[in-house]
Amino acid sequence: MDKRELQKFYGWFSTLCILVGALTALGYYRDEYRPWKDYQRRFNNEEIRRASTPEQRLIASRVPIQIRQILLPELNRVDRCTTCHLAVEDPSYGGYPQPLAYHPLHDEHPFDKFGCTICHRGQGRATTAEDAHGNVAHWGEPMLPLKYIEASCGQCHEASDNPAAPLLSRGAELFETVGCRGCHKLGGVGGVVGPELDRVGTRRSPDWLRAHFLEPAAVTPGSGMPPQKFSEPDVQAMVLFMLSQTGTDLPSFYASMKVIPSAAQGRRLFQQKGCIGCHSMGGQGGKIGPALDDVSLRRKPEWIIQHFRDPQSVSPGTVMPRFGFTEAEAHALTDFLLHQGDKKMLMGIPALMSPVDRGSEVFRKYGCAGCHGQEGKGGVPNPNAKTAEQVPGLIHVADGYTKPELKTFILNGQHEIVPLDPSRPPPPLYMPAWGSTIKDAEIDDLVAYLFSLKPKDEKTDF
Amino acid sequence: MISSFLLHMQPAKVNRHSLRASYSFGLGLISLYLFLILCVTGVLLMFYYVPSTSQAYDRMKDLQFVVSAGLVVRNMHRWSAHLMVATVMLHMCRVFYTGAYKAPREFNWVLGVGLFLTTLGLSFTGYLLPWDQLAFWAITVGTNIAGYAPFVGTKLKYLMLGGNTVGQEALTRFYALHVIVLPAIAGLMVAVHVWRVRKDGGLSRPGESSDSVQSIPLGELPTNKSYGLMELARGTTPQVGQDPDDEVFSWPHLIFRELLLFLIVVAFVLFLAVFWNAPLEELANPIHPPNPAKAPWYFLGLQELVSYSAFWGGVVVPALIVMALIVLPYMDRGRHGVGVWFARERRVANTIFSVCVAAAVVLTVVGTMFRGPNWGWVVPWRAPPPTMEGH
Repeated sequence: MDKRELQKFYGWFSTLCILVGALTALGYYRDEYRPWKDYQRRFNNEEIRRASTPEQRLIASRVPIQIRQILLPELNRVDRCTTCHLAVEDPSYGGYPQPLAYHPLHDEHPFDKFGCTICHRGQGRATTAEDAHGNVAHWGEPMLPLKYIEASCGQCHEASDNPAAPLLSRGAELFETVGCRGCHKLGGVGGVVGPELDRVGTRRSPDWLRAHFLEPAAVTPGSGMPPQKFSEPDVQAMVLFMLSQTGTDLPSFYASMKVIPSAAQGRRLFQQKGCIGCHSMGGQGGKIGPALDDVSLRRKPEWIIQHFRDPQSVSPGTVMPRFGFTEAEAHALTDFLLHQGDKKMLMGIPALMSPVDRGSEVFRKYGCAGCHGQEGKGGVPNPNAKTAEQVPGLIHVADGYTKPELKTFILNGQHEIVPLDPSRPPPPLYMPAWGSTIKDAEIDDLVAYLFSLKPKDEKTDF
Repeated sequence: MISSFLLHMQPAKVNRHSLRASYSFGLGLISLYLFLILCVTGVLLMFYYVPSTSQAYDRMKDLQFVVSAGLVVRNMHRWSAHLMVATVMLHMCRVFYTGAYKAPREFNWVLGVGLFLTTLGLSFTGYLLPWDQLAFWAITVGTNIAGYAPFVGTKLKYLMLGGNTVGQEALTRFYALHVIVLPAIAGLMVAVHVWRVRKDGGLSRPGESSDSVQSIPLGELPTNKSYGLMELARGTTPQVGQDPDDEVFSWPHLIFRELLLFLIVVAFVLFLAVFWNAPLEELANPIHPPNPAKAPWYFLGLQELVSYSAFWGGVVVPALIVMALIVLPYMDRGRHGVGVWFARERRVANTIFSVCVAAAVVLTVVGTMFRGPNWGWVVPWRAPPPTMEGH
């Protein structure tokens, strides 16, 4: 190798070494420089500025710059949000600009038990604002806008009758009364015309849901779902309730928080646990246990709560089993017993209602109103259906069917709806077979209710 | 000492022709360097990786967000892996077009085919490890293609996955294959492959095939050479038959060039790794297939074929390709056109090979860029983003 060639080689060699060195340095810089370090420095400086004694200043100046994380093995999460949001637990940072603002209202949800992302969503493991807030490609859970944050309450807590989350409760109530279950399954109950909604809160964005309620076909071409005429707050409530359906499997501690101690939720429990099998109210129910009408006069609240926790401890020898209620459930049931004078509370306990009222509940429970209209009045569009392009109302059902016929029809459904014009697409809405879903007792009540819909002053023409 | 180690791997003198970048493009050496980079970055990644379906994806996120240099190392590993598949393929093309697989290098070509398959295996097994949607569904599609083989297909798929679907068992198997079995096989084969390059007389070059093999009686060894007995090899060797002016000392001519090439490869991989992040999609979700679910890019040509016929695309064509590659040097025994790009004498062979390569390229490009939901035809610049789920 002559001298010229050697020089050429050294030239190349040094250039490439510099290039590799420069790229390594650049890689190192990009790896080493992280915005969260700036935030931590800013926070430390603020702490130093606030320190009133030299000792405090010394302590503040020694706080290391490092990743902070909340490990939540039960929730299978690691939340590093506090790497930037350093002052969430310090009220003296109230009103500070982000990321150093204080997080109010977390007394009942301490950070070390809940972290951040279980409510706010986002990407807990990330350490850049963009990635952590989750509005990046390939992260399915962006942060929930604050106006929808109530949806997160519904992950652990019962959504309906939840005084702490009024809008969510409204959404849950609407879901049951508008008739969504007529077509959609949620928690295993509902029709099969539309998709199941169990995890819809993780699949769909708030904007998508909002658009979908107002004009379903606009976001899901070919959707047969009728547009919903919700008021603005009600759309918001429905979106919230849908967002709360995340299908998250919660570990026991979080799951035990389901019931909010309120009379309404107590009534629901009272109904679910079958209390009326042994106890009576308003003269109806079992005779094994004492009647509960005047229990609030006979017993103190503390006695009732203790009785739910452990019946034997206050009534030795009682046959009432220990149900293992959570503390919240015991409180809710007690609240219900103390407020049962409220007539509205008593409604909704099936054993205490007439068959027609119970049938009305069944009508509501399975979302029949979603297609057949409130109280079966009809008017819901079903394009290209021979029945005036609408789902038929049910007011005159008693004229066309006998009770057994109607029962059979509901149980078997009608998959093929006769089209008005066979050349157009078939009507999207149809009657699903309810046989596998609806219970035997419910179908009798439902038929009784449907027959009662016929206006009293009308005569049968045929 | 370094130089003597390097000179034990390589001859003391090499033919000038072998140094010409425009002849070999250094593709074999680049592949080797990429393999080394992959070994080093791979070991670094092993320090953090946990082959568990519940942890693997989180570890990827930790590499990205909290492990020092974790992201760069992962990027280097990923991009080197893709590059290596590409350079191995290009290396094979170079060897074909220069007729370098011909005698006496037939066996080294077969080893090369084995290395090519091992490289695909390494890349494919590594593909699953991040345990994201991309990984899960690419492996699902890839192993489904294997499942189309007659008689043994379903068994083979079951063997690969340790079950009928991609899950923890598959991850464990792929991990073991990726970090132990295949690298060991690749390492051994690389060693033999490189050794045979020297044993077979260095890189192929024009004119060598016309030389008759000269056997040198042991008693008549030239005394003016500074190298010893290990230089004696079957067939044409650097010291045989050529004007000594064509040969130069490996140190520094060859080894300096190899060093420069190494720096270029490292610089290029670093450049990619610093500016482009390796893909990481959502956590693997067996109930939400992306539409379309695509295999790794080097199998997309096959997937495209499979979309026409599972049996032909998934079984017959790949089997024929591999068999044809293996028997190629034993079938094509012509001694002409070695050491020259696109030699006239090899017009027919080159044309057939080019058609096959073009077909593979077209199928791969179609599978990569022109296939959308339900494997339907899309135009890339108007393609809708892949959907995650139906309504």
